[in-house]
Amino acid sequence: MKSYVVRRSILDGFTFAFLIASLAVWIINPTDEQALNMKLNVALFFAAFIVGTFVSHVLTKMKVTTLGEALFQPPYKKSVVSVSWYKTFSAWHLIVLLVGLIIVSIIKTKFSIYELLNEDGFNGAMRLFKGIFSPNFAILPKAILNIIETIFMAFLATALAIPFAFVLSFVSAKNIMTGTTGFWIYLAMRTLFNVMRSIEALVWAIIFSVWVGIGPFAGMLALMIHSIASLAKQYSEMVETVSEGPIEGVQSCGANKLQTIWYAIVPQVVLPYVSFTVYRWDINVRMATIIGLVGGGGIGTLLVQYQGQAMWPEVGTIIVVIAIVVWAMDQASAYIREALK
Amino acid sequence: MSVKPILSIKNLQKTYPNGVQALKGVSFDVKKGEFLVVIGLSGSGKSTMLRCINRLNEPTAGEMVFNDGKVEKDLVKLEKATDIKWLRQNVGMIFQHFNLIPRHSVLSNVLMGKLSKTSTLKSLFGIFSDEDIAEAMKYLKLVGIAEKAHIRADQLSGGQQQRVAIARALTQNPQILLADEPVASLDPATCHVVMDYLRKVNQELGITIICNLHFLSLVRQYATRVVALKGGELVYEGDPKSIDDAWFEKIYGAGAKEVHIN
Ligand SMILES: Nc1ncnc2c1ncn2[C@@H]1O[C@H](COP(=O)(O)OP(=O)(O)OP(=O)(O)O)[C@@H](O)[C@H]1O
Ligand SMILES: [Mg+2]
Repeated sequence: MKSYVVRRSILDGFTFAFLIASLAVWIINPTDEQALNMKLNVALFFAAFIVGTFVSHVLTKMKVTTLGEALFQPPYKKSVVSVSWYKTFSAWHLIVLLVGLIIVSIIKTKFSIYELLNEDGFNGAMRLFKGIFSPNFAILPKAILNIIETIFMAFLATALAIPFAFVLSFVSAKNIMTGTTGFWIYLAMRTLFNVMRSIEALVWAIIFSVWVGIGPFAGMLALMIHSIASLAKQYSEMVETVSEGPIEGVQSCGANKLQTIWYAIVPQVVLPYVSFTVYRWDINVRMATIIGLVGGGGIGTLLVQYQGQAMWPEVGTIIVVIAIVVWAMDQASAYIREALK
Repeated sequence: MSVKPILSIKNLQKTYPNGVQALKGVSFDVKKGEFLVVIGLSGSGKSTMLRCINRLNEPTAGEMVFNDGKVEKDLVKLEKATDIKWLRQNVGMIFQHFNLIPRHSVLSNVLMGKLSKTSTLKSLFGIFSDEDIAEAMKYLKLVGIAEKAHIRADQLSGGQQQRVAIARALTQNPQILLADEPVASLDPATCHVVMDYLRKVNQELGITIICNLHFLSLVRQYATRVVALKGGELVYEGDPKSIDDAWFEKIYGAGAKEVHIN
C-alpha cells in the first residue's frame, strides 16, 4: 500500500475517533472507575479509529477530500480547482477538529478565569514579583560561582560528546553505509539516536543522579548523552549532503574508505560541524539550568533551594544572572555561526 | 610483431539498478601509448564506460583485460580492496568538474595521488614522504602551475584546477589516464591549454590516454584514434581523419551539424 494512504488513514481515523470519544465522554459523563478501565476504553477508541479509517476511505472514493487526503496526497493528485475554502470538506474537517481540541484542552487544563483573578492568589503572585524585582545582590558571588559550574558542565558535556558523535555520524550516514549490512547499521543507529533524543535530558539527569549521586557530574552525563544523539544526527545529515565530486576524485586515486572520509568528506563538513557544536553548547547551558532543578548541580540547584524557602529576592538575583548568561551565549554562538558560514 | 593491447575490452555491458542499459556489449582494444578519444551523443554511455574501466561503476558483464607486458589481469574480475587499489594505481582519472578538494591546498590535492601508497595512519595525519612531495612538485611543474602549490584549490580558475587534477593523476604513476570530458566546462582558449598538457603527458611520459570529448575539431587535433558510441553500442572505430559527413551522421544522427571551436 502507498505510504500516503497509510498516513491519510491514520490522521482521519484519529480525528474521527477523537471526536467520537470526546462526544461520548460528554454525553455519558463516565465515573472514575469507568474512565480508568483501560482495556475497554482502548478497545472502544480503536474500534472508532477503524470506523474512521473506513469512513475516510469511502469519502475519498466518493471524491470528497478529507483533511488527511488534502494534507498527504501526492502532488500529482493535487487539483487546482479553486473552490471557496468554506465549501470544502477538508476545511470543515479541520475546523471541527480544532474546536474539539480547544474545548477538550480547556476542560483538561482546568482553565479558570476565576483562579486567575482570585485575590489571594493574585496577592501572592504580587509578593513574589516584588521580591524578584528587588534582587538581593548579596548572593551574587554565590550565583556567579554556580553559573560558572553550569557553563562548564555544559561545555564538558559538549566536548565529550564531540568524538562520539563524530565517529557515529559516519556510521549513520546513508551515503557511507551502502549495501545491505550497511543499511541495517544505518537504520539501527538512526533509531537509537531517535530513542536517545526522545528521552528528555531531564529524565537522563534523574537516572544519572541515582547512578552517580546528585550533583554536576550527573547533570553533565545527562547532557552528554543527549548531545551525542543530537549531534550525531545533525552531523550525519551533513555527511549525507556532501558533494560527490571530491569523493570520486579521491577514490579514483585508490584511496581506501577511511582516507576517502578523511580527505573528501571531512573538509566538506567541518564548518557545519563546528557551527552545530557551538550551538549545542549554547543549548546545553540552557538545558543545564533546567537539569539543575532536579539535582543536576549548578545554578538550577541553587535556584530550587531558594525557591523552596520562598526567598524571592535571592531567586530574583539568580534569574538575572541566568538571563544575562543565556543572552550572552546566544549572541556569541549566533556571531560565531554567522562567521563560519 | 604483435604487441598485446594494454587494454582489451570485450562485450562490456552495464545496466544501472534503475534498468537503464547504458552499455550493450562494447568491444575494442586500446593500444599502449595511444591517445584514444571516445565520442558520441549525450547519454550514449561514454562516462559509464570510462567509469567501468577504473571500477567507479561496476560492470554488469564482459571482460577488460589489462596487459602492460608484465601483468595480465581481467579488470572486471577484481574483487578485493587491494586489487581495486592496484587498478587505481595503474589507471588514473580526471573529471569534467575537476573533483578537487576545495578547501585543501593545491599541493595537498596533488598528494592525493600518493594515498594508495601511503599507510592509512600516516595519511590521516597528512604525513607524506619528502620524495612524494618532490614528485608532486615535479608534476605541478610539468603542468606549469608549481607556483600555486600553496594556494587553496578553490581559488584557482577552471583551467588551472584541471591542470592540478592532471598532476594529481600523474602522481599515481598510472599507465592509463582516463579523462571524462576534461575541457567541457572550460572556455575555448583554456581548453586548448589543457588538451596540450594531456598531449604532453601522452607523448613525453608515454601514458595511454582514453578521453571523452564532444568537439570534433578537438578530436581531429589531438586523437590518434577514435571510437564512437551510440545508444551504448560501438558504431565507429578508426582514424580521426576519416570521420566524414556520412560517419558524422551515423554517430550523431541525421541533421546534426558540426560545431567548430578553434
Ligand atoms: N548513476 C546512474 N544511474 C542510472 N542511470 C544512469 C546513471 N548514470 C548514467 N545513467 C544513464 O546511462 C546512460 C549513459 O549515461 P552516460 O553518463 O554514460 O552518458 P554520456 O555519454 O557520458 O553522456 P554525456 O555526454 O551527457 O556525459 C544515460 O541514459 C544515463 O541516463
Ligand atoms: Mg558523460
